[in-house]
Amino acid sequence: MGIDRRAFLKVIGVGGATTALVGCGAEPPEKLIPYLIPPEELIPGMASWYATVCRECPAGCGMLVKTLEGRAIKGEGNLAHPVNQGRLCARGQASLQGLYNPDRIREPLSRDQNGHLHSISWDEAEGRVASRLADLRRKGKADRVAFLTPLLSGGLDRLIDTWLSALGSRRRLRYEPFAYEPLRTANRITFGRDAIPAYDLEGAKFLLSFGADFLETWISPVAYARGFAAMRAYQDGRIGTFFYVGPRLSLTAANADRWIPIKPGTEGFLALGMIHVILGEGLEVPLPQEERERLKSLVKPYPPERVAIRTELPEGTIFRLARAFAREKPSLALGGGVAMTGSNATSTCVAINLLNYVVGNVGKTVRFGPNVTLANLATYRDMLSLIDAMNGDKVEVLLLYSTNPLFTLPQAAGFREALRKVPLVVSFSSFLDETTAEAHLILPDHTFLESWGDYSPREGIYGLMQPVMRPLFQTKAVGDTLLSLARQSDPKIAQRFPWPSFYEYLLEQWKELQKRLEPGTPFDTFWEQALQQGGVWKEVRAEPVRLSPQVFELALKEAAFEAKAEQALYLHCYPSLIHFDGRMANRPWLQELPDPMTQIVWDNWVEIHPEAAGRLGIVEGDVVTVASPYGEVELPAHLSGGVRPDVVAIPVGQGHTAFGRYAEKRGANPMALLPSKPEPLAGSVMVLSIKVTLTRTGKRHQLVSPAGSDRQQGREIAQAMPLSQLGEHTEEDHAPKQIYPPHDHPEHRWGMAIDLNACIGCEACIVACYAENNVPVVGKERVQEGRWMAWIRIERYVEGELERPETRFLPMLCQHCDHAPCEPVCPVYATYHTPEGLNAQVYNRCVGVRYCSNNCPYKVRRFNWFEYSDPKSKQYAFPEPLNWQLNPDVTVRGKGVMEKCTFCVQRIQAAKDRGKDEGRPVRDGEIIPACAQTCPTQAIVFGDLKDPNSRVSKLARDPRRYRVLEHLNTQPAITYLKKIKQDTEQV
Amino acid sequence: MKGVRIVVIVVLLVAAGVGVIFLTASGRGNAVEQPIAFSHKIHAGQNQIPCLYCHANARRSAVAGIPSVQRCMSCHRSLTADKDKADKPGIEKLKEYWEKEEPIPWVRVYDQPDFVRFSHKRHVLKEIACEACHGPVETMDQIEAVVVVNMDRCVSCHMERRASIDCWTCHK
Repeated sequence: MGIDRRAFLKVIGVGGATTALVGCGAEPPEKLIPYLIPPEELIPGMASWYATVCRECPAGCGMLVKTLEGRAIKGEGNLAHPVNQGRLCARGQASLQGLYNPDRIREPLSRDQNGHLHSISWDEAEGRVASRLADLRRKGKADRVAFLTPLLSGGLDRLIDTWLSALGSRRRLRYEPFAYEPLRTANRITFGRDAIPAYDLEGAKFLLSFGADFLETWISPVAYARGFAAMRAYQDGRIGTFFYVGPRLSLTAANADRWIPIKPGTEGFLALGMIHVILGEGLEVPLPQEERERLKSLVKPYPPERVAIRTELPEGTIFRLARAFAREKPSLALGGGVAMTGSNATSTCVAINLLNYVVGNVGKTVRFGPNVTLANLATYRDMLSLIDAMNGDKVEVLLLYSTNPLFTLPQAAGFREALRKVPLVVSFSSFLDETTAEAHLILPDHTFLESWGDYSPREGIYGLMQPVMRPLFQTKAVGDTLLSLARQSDPKIAQRFPWPSFYEYLLEQWKELQKRLEPGTPFDTFWEQALQQGGVWKEVRAEPVRLSPQVFELALKEAAFEAKAEQALYLHCYPSLIHFDGRMANRPWLQELPDPMTQIVWDNWVEIHPEAAGRLGIVEGDVVTVASPYGEVELPAHLSGGVRPDVVAIPVGQGHTAFGRYAEKRGANPMALLPSKPEPLAGSVMVLSIKVTLTRTGKRHQLVSPAGSDRQQGREIAQAMPLSQLGEHTEEDHAPKQIYPPHDHPEHRWGMAIDLNACIGCEACIVACYAENNVPVVGKERVQEGRWMAWIRIERYVEGELERPETRFLPMLCQHCDHAPCEPVCPVYATYHTPEGLNAQVYNRCVGVRYCSNNCPYKVRRFNWFEYSDPKSKQYAFPEPLNWQLNPDVTVRGKGVMEKCTFCVQRIQAAKDRGKDEGRPVRDGEIIPACAQTCPTQAIVFGDLKDPNSRVSKLARDPRRYRVLEHLNTQPAITYLKKIKQDTEQV
Repeated sequence: MKGVRIVVIVVLLVAAGVGVIFLTASGRGNAVEQPIAFSHKIHAGQNQIPCLYCHANARRSAVAGIPSVQRCMSCHRSLTADKDKADKPGIEKLKEYWEKEEPIPWVRVYDQPDFVRFSHKRHVLKEIACEACHGPVETMDQIEAVVVVNMDRCVSCHMERRASIDCWTCHK
C-alpha cells in the first residue's frame, strides 16, 4: 500500500474526529412543549416544595417534597415538624420509590373465575361494591361488612368510621403488625392509662433499653435518634450512659456502651431484681410508706442472687446496673420491643414501669402527655376475632386499605383460609401485595404523596398532607371512593355525606379543628399556615399518674417457650431498620441498602452464633430448614456473634410471594414459624415464644454484602477515645513537610466534619444520596461482583472480643483530598482539584481507565461497568416511571464512566446562585449536602474551611479530630471526630 | 503516489463525515420546520417585542422557557379579530391549538448536552445579550442555530469576562 503506520494514524485521526461528531449529532430532534396555561407560581427550572406527612410507618414524620415541573424529585424532613425536625430515615427517603414504583396498580382491577385480573372502569368497580353493600343492607346484614386499615387519625379515620356506621357496621380495625399491646396493657395495669407515653431520651442521663430498638423501628425512631444523640453528646465533662438488654445485638444495641445478652424472656426478672436492690439499699425516691412496703414485698421473691440464675447474668451486673440506674437521675428504662414479646410480655412491661417509678422517672423522662396515637390500634386478639368471624361466615364484604395481613400475621392464625371464605374482598392498595393478590376487586388508592389527608402521630401534632403532584395513574383517593359509594347508596345515607370530594370533607374537619385550637384566627389563614408548615402543633401538658392498686397483683411468670425438639434454639424475629414489617420491600433503594448489622443486601437470612453453628455443622451460606411447632422455612445461615449462642434471629419483611419485581422471592417470611395463640394479658402476637430446630438441607445460597472485613486490622479507620482522656490536653497537629506548594483556594475551601460519637449507623444518608444524585441500583449479582454504586457507605467495624463487642460506624465518602491520589493518575484530566477544594469528576472527559479508583486509598470511586442509564439496556436501573424521580441537576452517568461523591456540588452551586441573587456571600450552614440534610443525629456538618468561624472549621479544631489514613498525607477535606467511650467499668 | 493516496483517503473520510453532519444537523440544529411558521423577524424585528416578554423566565430561572399558548393568545385574541384571516394561517393554527387545548410541539433548535449546567438567569442578569448565543433572531423568519454554542465559545467568553472557567462551573 505504501502508507506507513504514522501516516495512517494521522488520517484516521481526522476521519475519526468527524465520525465522532456524527455520533453526537445523530439523536432525534427534541420537542419543546410549552404549557397551555402556565400554573401560577410555577417557573420551569425552579423547584417548588410541598409539606406533607410521611406515611410509611406510624411515626408520622413531617416531610417536604421537592418538585420540579410537577414531578416529585426528593423528599426531605420538615424542619418545622416537632417529631423529626427536618430529618428522615432511610425508609422515609425511599417513599418516592413507592410513588414511582413500576409495579404500582394503575387502574381498578377485577378478578375473573380463573383468578386472572382484568382492568375495569371506576364506575363499574364502584358499582359492584355499591350494589353488594345495598344488597346486604336490604337483607339486614350490613353488619357483615368489615374494614381493615393501618393506623389512621384525623379526616380519613373519621370518614371511614362514619361511613361504616352509616352503613350499619362497626367492624372496623386499625391494624399494625407491631401494635405495642403489652406496653399499653402494662401502662393500664401500672398507671391506669391505656396509653403510650412520651419518652424523653434527651433528658435522661442513664438509658436502659429492654429490647426496645428505638433507633430502628420502635415507636418513633427519627425522633428518638435525635434525643439519643443529644443525650450522648459531650457536655460538662460527661456523656449519657446507655445499656441494652436483649438477645440480639441490634443496631440499637450496637450503639450501647454495653450489650447485655440476657436469656430471652427474663427481662422482667432483671427489672424486679434491680428494684429489689434499689429498695433494699434505699436508693429510691421518697415514696409513700405503704406503697414502699407493698413494692418491697412485691419484689421480695426476686433477690439478685436468684435473678442472676434466671437471667444468666452475673450477680454483680444486677447490683451495678441497679445502683447506676438509681444514681444517674433522671434515668430511663424502655421496654416493649419485639425482643420482649413472649408469654410474659405484659408483666415484664409492668416490671419496667415500676423500675422507672421507684427512681422517680415517671413524670420526668416518662410523661403521660403527649401520648402516642399508636394506642388506638387494634390488638392481635381483635384480629383473631375478625378471623373467627370470617370463618363463621359473618363477614360478607372485607375492605382492606393499605394493609397486608396475609404477610404480616402469623400464618398459624389462619387468615389465608378465612380470607377465602369472604365472598367479596375489596382492596384499596396501591400495590399487588399478598393480601391484595387474593382480592376480588382492587380499587387502587393514590400513594400518600398524591393525596390530601392528615395524621397525628401523637397528641398536639396535627400533620397536614397535601398532594405534592398530580396522580400518576388512574387511581382514586380512598376517601373519594367512599364518598362516591355513599352517594350511590340509598338517599338516607347519601344525604349524610354531602361532600363532593374528600378534600371538602377534610376542609370541614379542619374548620372544626381551627375553632377548637385557634378560634381567633380566620380559617383561611389557619389553613394556609398549616399547609405551609405542614400542620399545626400545640403544647400538651403531661398529666401526673399514680400507681394503680392493680399493679400489686403482678405475678411475673417464667416465659414459656414452645419447642419441637430437645435441643431447640430460641427464635427471635425482628422488624429491621430497612424493611420494618415488609411494607417497603418493593423499593429497590432499600433492597440494595446493606443491613446495618450484617451488611447483607437483597436477601433474608437466619443469624446464628458460630458456636451453635459449629455444633450443628452449619457454615456461612448453608441453606437450613428452620422448623418450629407451627411451620418451616428455608433460609441461608449467617454466622455472627451478634446473637446469644442459644438464639437464632430472622429479620421480618422479606420473603414476599407477591408485591412486585423487587420484593418477590427474597428469602422466606418467618411469620410461618410463629404461634397463633395471643399473649394472655395484652392479646399480642407472641413473637419471642418458640424454639426452633435448624437442619442443613445440603443446598447453598450466596449471601452478598458490599462490606469488607469486620475488623480494622490495625488501620485505625474508625477511632474512639475514652471519656476520661477527653478533657486532657491534646497535642497540636504536626503537619508533615510538603514537597509541593499547597493548593490555592481563593474564595472557599469546602469541607466536612463527621462526628462518630453521633453517627448511629442508620444509613439514611445512603438513601438520601441515591435520591439526590441519581445513583443506580445494580442488583444482587452486581453487588456480589463488587460493583455497588453507592457514593457514601457506612463502614461497620467490631472491636474487642466476640463476647463483648464494641461496634463502630464510620460514614465513608470521597474525602476530597488536597493531595488526592486519584488526580495525578488521570490521563485525561477528568478528575482534578477545583479552586474551591473539591475533587471534581468531569464525566464527559472520563475515558474509563479506572487508574483513579485503583489509586484511591478510601475506595470511594464507582465505575459504570454497565449501561445503567439507557432504557434499552438490560441493566437499566430506572424503569419507567422510576426515572421520573431523577434529579435534573445531576447527570445520569453512562457506561464506562467513573463517578463518586461530589459534596452535592449542585447544592453548592444553587446556594452560590441564591447568594448572587441577593448580593451576599454564601452563609455558613446554607449548603447542606443530601447526606447531612437527612442525618437524624446531625453527625455530618458541611461548610467552608476558609472561614475560621464556620461550624465545620470549629469542628476541624475539636480535640477529638482525626483524619482517616492520615499517614498517607492525602490531606482530606473531611475531619472525623472520634467516638467517645464511656467508662463502663464504673457501672 | 503515496501523498495522493493519503489525500484521497482524507478527502473521502472528511466528505463522508461532513455529509452526515450536514444531513443530521439539518434535522436538528438548523432551520427546522416548526408546527407553526412562527417568525421572530415579525415579532422581535418588526414589532420590537423584547425577548424577555415571551421568554420571561430567562431572567428568573436556569430555563428560559417557551411562552405558553395562553401568552401567545393574550395578544392574538385581540389582534386577529379585525384582520384578514386568509393571510394568517399561522394564527389560525395557533387558535386551533388553543381551542383543542393542546400545547404546540415546538422543535428544539438550541440544545446543550445533559451534562452541562447552564443558567439563563445568571447570564441575563449579567446583561449578556441574547444574540451573543442565539444570533440575530430578529432577522430570522425561521430560527436557525447560527451561533455554535460549544465549549470553545463558552470558555472564550468566560475568559474574556474573567468568569470562572473551572470545569464544575458548567459541567455537572
